[in-house]
This record gives sequence, structure tokens and C-alpha cells, in this order.
Amino acid sequence: MSPPGRPPHAGVDVHAPSAARARNGARWLVDALVAEGVDTLFGYPGGAIMPFYDALHGAPLRHVLVRHEQGAAFAANGYARASGRVGVCVATSGPGASNLVTGIADAMLDSVPLVVITGQVATTLMGTDAFQELDVFGMTMPMVKHSFLARRAEDLPRIVGEAFRIARTGRPGPVLIDLPKDVQVAPAEHLPAHARSPVDAVPRPPDASLHEALALISQARRPVAYGGGGIVLADAVADFRTFVDATQMPTVLTLKGLGALPSEHPLNLGMLGMHGSRAANTAVQECDVLVVVGARFDDRATGKLAEFAPQARVVHMDFDASEIGKLRRADAGVRGDLRRTLAALTLPCAAHLHARHGAARRQWRAACQQRAHAHAARYDAPGDAVHAPTLLRRLSALAPAAIVACDVGQHQMWVAQHWRFDDPRKHLTSGALGAMGFGLPAAIGAQMQDPRAQVICVSGDGSFLMNVQELATLRRYDLPVKIVLLDNQALGMVRQWQELFFERRYSEIDLSDNPDFVAIARAFGIEALHVERAADVDHALDALLAARGPALLHVAIDTAANVWPLVPPNHSNAQMLDADDVASLPLAMPESATPPPEKPHALPA
Amino acid sequence: MRYQLDLTLRHAEGALARVLGATERRGFRPLSVDGEAQPDGDRWHLRITVEGERGEQVLEGQLAKLYDCLAVQVSPC
Repeated sequence: MSPPGRPPHAGVDVHAPSAARARNGARWLVDALVAEGVDTLFGYPGGAIMPFYDALHGAPLRHVLVRHEQGAAFAANGYARASGRVGVCVATSGPGASNLVTGIADAMLDSVPLVVITGQVATTLMGTDAFQELDVFGMTMPMVKHSFLARRAEDLPRIVGEAFRIARTGRPGPVLIDLPKDVQVAPAEHLPAHARSPVDAVPRPPDASLHEALALISQARRPVAYGGGGIVLADAVADFRTFVDATQMPTVLTLKGLGALPSEHPLNLGMLGMHGSRAANTAVQECDVLVVVGARFDDRATGKLAEFAPQARVVHMDFDASEIGKLRRADAGVRGDLRRTLAALTLPCAAHLHARHGAARRQWRAACQQRAHAHAARYDAPGDAVHAPTLLRRLSALAPAAIVACDVGQHQMWVAQHWRFDDPRKHLTSGALGAMGFGLPAAIGAQMQDPRAQVICVSGDGSFLMNVQELATLRRYDLPVKIVLLDNQALGMVRQWQELFFERRYSEIDLSDNPDFVAIARAFGIEALHVERAADVDHALDALLAARGPALLHVAIDTAANVWPLVPPNHSNAQMLDADDVASLPLAMPESATPPPEKPHALPA
Repeated sequence: MRYQLDLTLRHAEGALARVLGATERRGFRPLSVDGEAQPDGDRWHLRITVEGERGEQVLEGQLAKLYDCLAVQVSPC
């Protein structure tokens, strides 16, 4: 058997490239990718990208052949999220390019550095409705950080250099290079070798804004730090932790900020927002100064914006200046390098620990921590059925160093609530786009960037079937990704909203005709297990983690299980609901749509 | 509120579409567009009048992030 990460026939090169082949645009591009430091690309060949695939043949690049272009975009996305390097994906023109779109959008909304290479029909055919001609340059314009249409081989050095520089500079994002076929085959002997472009320096935070921030923070009696995904993007995790430790500030995190402060840290109140913890949301609603670090007041985090943190003056630090004041006015906005910002503020802010508001801050901190303790999640669910949060908590303890790639839905929120993250790069989740089908290919990308890493994909029965074909990729490269498939035989999050906010009119959420997932995995040559009783969970998890290669654990869970707590849409984060509160909602329940009662293991948080 | 946008853009494929698209997506309706390429052909100067209810700083910040946008100034008119 081939080692992990290599296809069965890797190294058996029956058509070794000839050194005599003249360098054309495609070969120049492959050489440039190597010079850029790219080691892996994810893709799928087709007509208009064939010269590139010809140039790839025998090149010192690892190409991962996925089974659908969306899988390529998500895999490159997972590779980039886990490694911090630029992910690269490739597809042909037309449907190949359009199949990449969701993955490109996800990278844009979650600020993931990608370079996307699409084949295009020859320039002479562009605009003639040629076979597989699609204006991917125009189609992706709203969802890329930038895009290039290379109309001449002579433009390739500038375009490729800029594409990688733009993708990783400042707030990262996807850059598309649309590459017509005639440009790929055009002579390129005369082009200079690719030189990697340096990343632009992030501006220093202005002294005046640092002074404003310090003045506000020093006046705080009830401060809260609100950390987001920008912390890891700015490589400022250590600086953020130092700031929190030095200032002893109660801290809440966004979905993408999870891990910026370890879950077990005594000042970590958990995730804020729609499915955030009661301790986190209450602290934000009651604080008098909110120190926002690399976060953007996303609606899932703030709830009803007009009622978010109503008593707080806001200090907003971000390296993307356009985020400051976008949704919530900043009383002090600090634009620029987050590391320098945090480093500059840490000692002066810490000096106020024992100043005139020292006693008030100690009292506030104790109240926040007491609330976190009082509302901590419980894992003592009664009953025989599997309680998904308990399973995830257990798996988190068994695999504390794992990279976790999630899909989207209830299981995604349970992971956010119950997994103990200590590094944001170990939590791969489609945050802003919320793209079902993300998890499995993202896990493949994460495994490819580090073959020694323990990678776990947590998925749901709805999400899993959206990119189930990538099980073939998992098998082909023998990647030891472990999949936990939480199967509630429903589109659970939609079902939950229909139960709570649409008077229990259950519309098109029933997946009780799901296929046999264990049989599917085995058909792909992947070891598979099934568990449906709480008493068997520990044994099943042990067996899953002990599997040598890829493996899937199919977990049957209660269809009626909900994610708690929950802030109803367009409500203040102060209005959190628990399972016990549902009875008070004005729900009409048509007899024809009577759901099964939620089992007693659905614990309020 | 009405605003005038004064922009300097790279004369690059897609630059005009990016600016107009971003302006509309961020909640501003174009009322007039006027512009020309500079004689040397590597810059566009563009003046756009828009109306919208959101703050002009948000629009200016988003347009400034576009790679092809070399300078932007948004002012009430």
C-alpha cells in the first residue's frame, strides 16, 4: 500500500516529461508554482485546462485529483486554513469553473488565501458562446479579492506574482486566474523566471488611536474582550493571550475566534451569539467597555445589532480598516497590525488592574466566572440514546490535538460549543458562508498539509451527502481522516427553526430515507462503524481512533434534538432560549405535523 | 443622501464593473457615471453620483480595498 497522501500509482511515471519539450505558458506557470513554494494543488482536469495538466505531468508538485471541483475548492480551503499558506485549486472552463464557485465564496467570506486557476477557451473563441465557455471572471467578481484574465503569456509573470501577493497580503482572500487555452500553449521561453513577491507590511497602529483606546479601557469597570478570526489571520494569538492574561479581562470569542484563548482558560466565557453561551452573551450585554479584537460584528454574533452591548463603549482593533465602524460605531478605532496594537496596549492596560476601578473589575470578573460555572454545559444526559454534545466532548478529550473540520448545521454548533479548542487553525468551519459539504474536502486538505496530523471530520447526514464523492479521494490517497457522522435523519437546523419559529410546519426536512452510510463508506473501501446507544459511545470512539486509515463512525441521534441555548433571529442576545423556555413560545402545532417529543437528554445549557 | 465618488482606477479588465458592482451591492444606487481613460491609457478617472442611506465611510472603505482602485474620495453632494 502507498504511504498516506500518495495515490496508489504515484511514482510510476509511464510518460516522463521530455526535457526537450519547449516551455510554453502552462509550463511557465507550473515552474512558477514550484518557485512560489506551492507543494500541493487540488483539481480536476478538462478540455480547456489540458495544457496545464500536460505541464503538470512529472512536475515536482503533488496534484490531488478530487471527484468534483467543489471538493477541490474546499480542500484547498482546508489546506490553507490549517496551514496558513496559500491553497491552490485548478479546474477547467465552464462547468469546472462554476463548480468551484461555492468554495471561492467561502474563502472570500472567511478570509482564506486561495489562488484559483481556471482554464478558459482560447482568446479567439471568447465571446462566441464556444463549448464550455463561461465568463468565470465576471461571475466570480463579487466573491474574489481580485481576479485576472491572462490574455497574453507575457502577462503571466506579473499576474502570478500579484495573485499570490494579493491572496496573502493583509486580510487574506481568494484570487482567480482565468487562463485561456492559447495562452497556455503560447511560447514562454523568453519569460523571466517567477520571483515570489513580498507581502505588504501591515501598517503600524497610529499612536493617537492607541492613546484613545487606552483611555477608554482604563475607565472600564466591566470590560470584556471580544476576539474573532482576525486574531489568527494576523498571527496574533500569542499577543491576544498575553493581553487577556495581563489585563484579566473576561473574554468571549466568535465562531472563528475559537481557540484564540484555550477553552479551559478561566477568563474564557465561551462563544457569543446565536448559539453562544449564556455567560458570554450576558457579559457582553452588561459590559461597559467592549474591546473588539479582529472581529466584525457579524449578525450571528451580535443578534439584534441595535440592542447589542447596549451599555458599552467600543474599542475596535482590526487590520482591515473598512471593518471599523461598518456596523457598530467605534468609540476608539485602532487600525493596523494587531500584534503591535496588542503589544502596545498590554502593559499600560495591565497597569490599571489595581487602579481606581480595580475592585469593581475584580467583582465583575468573579460574577462572569460564577455565571460561566453556573451555566456550564452538562454531560450527564439520561437515557439510552446518544447525546451528541457528550460524544463530541468525549472525542475532544480523546483527541485533544486534532484538527476538526465541520460541516454546517446543528453538529457544527455542537462542535463549537463542546469541543475544547486551543488553536484556531485546528477548527475548520464554514463560518460566514455556512456551506454544507465543506467538511469532508476541508478535512482532506487539512490532512494533505500535514500527513502526521490527526484530522477529524464532524458531519451531519444532510451535509455529508453534498460531497460524499470525496470518500473516493480519501481512499485514493489513503488519508487517515476520521469521520463522525451525526445522523438525525433530518435537516436538523432547519427542522429546529421550523419547530420554533414556523409553528412546527415541517417542510422538506425529513431525511428518514437516508442511505445506509456504513455500506456507502465500505463501498468506497473505508472502514465503517455504527453506534446508537450512549453506552457504546466510548468503545466506538476508541475503535474509530484506532483505525489505521480512513474510517467513519455513523452515529444515530435523536431527530428532535435541538441546539441550546438559542437567541431567536432578530432578538437581542439577552433573550436566550433554553429547552425549558420552548413551552412558553406561542406555538401552534397542527396535528398532522406533530413532532416526536424531544427526549429527556436534551439538556439546557 | 447623495454622494459623489471621485475615483482613480487602473485601466484593467473588469475595473469599472468591480467599482459599480461593489457600489450597488453595498447599498448605493448610481445616478450618473462619467469618466475617461487618461491619454497614456493606464488610468481611469471616474466620477459617480450615488444615493443611499448607509454611511459614506463604509462605501469608501470597501472601494479602497479593490485592487484596481488607486484612489477614492466620497463626499456629500
